[in-house]
Amino acid sequence: MKKSLFDKIWESHVVEELPGGSALIFVDLVVAHEITSPQGIIAIERDFEDKLYDPNKIVSLIDHVAPAKDTATAIQAQTLRAWAKRQKIRFHDIGDNGICHVIIPEKGYVTPGMVIACGDSHTGTLGAFGTFALGVGSTAQGGAMLAQVLVLQRPKVMKIEITGELASDVTAKDLILTIIKTIGFKGGTGYALEYTGSAISKLSMDGRMTVCNMAIEAGATAGLIAPDEKTAAYLAETTLKPTNWTSLQPDPDAEYDRTVTIDGATVRPVVTWGTNPGENSSIDGTVPADAHPESLQYMGLTVGTAMKSIEIDQCFIGSCTNSRISDLRAAAEVLKGQKVVVPTIITPGSVGVKRQAEREGLHDIFQDAGALWTHSSCGPCLGMSVGVIAPGTRVVSSTNRNFQGRMGDGGRVHLASPQVVAASAVMGRIASPSDVPAAREKVNA
Amino acid sequence: MIISGPVLPIPNANVDTDQIIPAKHLTTIDDSGMGEYCFTGMTNGRKMLDEHPGAVVWVAGENVGCGSSREHAAWALLGVGIKAVVSPSFARIFHENCYTNGLVPVIVDAELIPRFAAAKTITIDVENETVQADDDAPIAFKLDPARKPFVLGGGFLKYLNSKIPAIRAWEAKRAS
Repeated sequence: MKKSLFDKIWESHVVEELPGGSALIFVDLVVAHEITSPQGIIAIERDFEDKLYDPNKIVSLIDHVAPAKDTATAIQAQTLRAWAKRQKIRFHDIGDNGICHVIIPEKGYVTPGMVIACGDSHTGTLGAFGTFALGVGSTAQGGAMLAQVLVLQRPKVMKIEITGELASDVTAKDLILTIIKTIGFKGGTGYALEYTGSAISKLSMDGRMTVCNMAIEAGATAGLIAPDEKTAAYLAETTLKPTNWTSLQPDPDAEYDRTVTIDGATVRPVVTWGTNPGENSSIDGTVPADAHPESLQYMGLTVGTAMKSIEIDQCFIGSCTNSRISDLRAAAEVLKGQKVVVPTIITPGSVGVKRQAEREGLHDIFQDAGALWTHSSCGPCLGMSVGVIAPGTRVVSSTNRNFQGRMGDGGRVHLASPQVVAASAVMGRIASPSDVPAAREKVNA
Repeated sequence: MIISGPVLPIPNANVDTDQIIPAKHLTTIDDSGMGEYCFTGMTNGRKMLDEHPGAVVWVAGENVGCGSSREHAAWALLGVGIKAVVSPSFARIFHENCYTNGLVPVIVDAELIPRFAAAKTITIDVENETVQADDDAPIAFKLDPARKPFVLGGGFLKYLNSKIPAIRAWEAKRAS
């Protein structure tokens, strides 16, 4: 049988087949952050003499609450910091850190063909480098640090082919939101999504990471893209410059359990109106007639409302989905010479992204526009720190989840691309970059 | 192992782990104390919990536990006395977390959910993989044979620890 990329990675990592379609899968890299790792660390210390399979196969970092916001989160950071020191584990502390799914590729810890596990559901981001990367619970992550394996059900493989080209105003975020809407919020459950096609090839590595990042939002175990010359070029620019990998491709006529084809030219910029990422419409469209009443009630919207008529209270650009340098450049292009009319937070994905943005003067554009330019953290995306929203607050956000209460109790989240968030911040309503009056006209008026 | 007791009927689809336990409570280094915040991220979630004191089985809708990988969702449910979740479909990570924590994941056909949600008592025979609403005939369900031992007796990390020699041998072979 001709093999998919996923099949090849899976089969090269099976340590032992288990009954019922599961296997012990070898893990090449475990990523540990301060929120979900302490429980596994403490269990191993308590029950297994603090022994890890191989500390060199772990990278740890502070990302969710950086720096600590209170005693409890300071203790989380302290736990991780002390453990990394005594185990001699690579550790990115505040000042040298970033959101795990941003900094891990940026530093060059990722190479095609790896299996990567982290106690974080957006770990699939790293599939953009031709890896099988997945989020797991704290106990499973502890198991991967103790014994370097996961117990996993073998997922089926769905080929998602995006043919043709995306229009110039369409982003990777619009593409993945469209994919989720097409296959359904749980349509990827039990599958690894293998993205392919000319529109995927044309995406930058940043864009590919955005597309892989949100595979979990369709329920998928992972998302992945075969490596190519862009992957090689990206890795050559990283801190570690990994060279120990060979090109890994699916067989030309690989068999898939399901194939979904989308014509890239049909994808439009989209914004969510509901309480899961699949509940989205074209930004030029309306809340659809078949919208779930419970979602509309929570969001305070009605059927037929034009997306662009929705007035907003706040904006956020950041998260593991859209906080990389190209995202910030896209936002800066919209915000240059403009003023935001609602509170707007812009959070770079890592210290590296932050410094690059500042070298390019993007921080001046943001701050001249009246936005708050912060240090890197996961904070606002999950309502954990640095910008939790109040009940009823309506935010347009470049993040990944519009769940009830996600960014703060009772908060209402509309997911969109960074450029749409930036345009909305200027207009005070959901808006496209093309809706924003040219900066010079505005000054003259 | 038999689990039997009152039902928590929240059969809404797509109850994500943010609803089960909001992120603001993920600030501990252990797995205790999560029950206090169980369902506080869901509109009327806490009210449902209060109206069903002593519930041991949560009858849930499809795609239960979607979203964040936070194992705190399983710990929160166990913390309020829930021992099993009956649902037509589980999100993958939550499903795995159920197994590693002994929170029994029971998958049944979607059309049976209204009956289970209306039951006063649900009885689950974990060893024999049957689930029963009140005095109805027991219905068969399936557990993953690879993980069933962890639901029955825990020991997930102990099991992996016992595999380390074989894993090291596998890795040495891969390198050669």
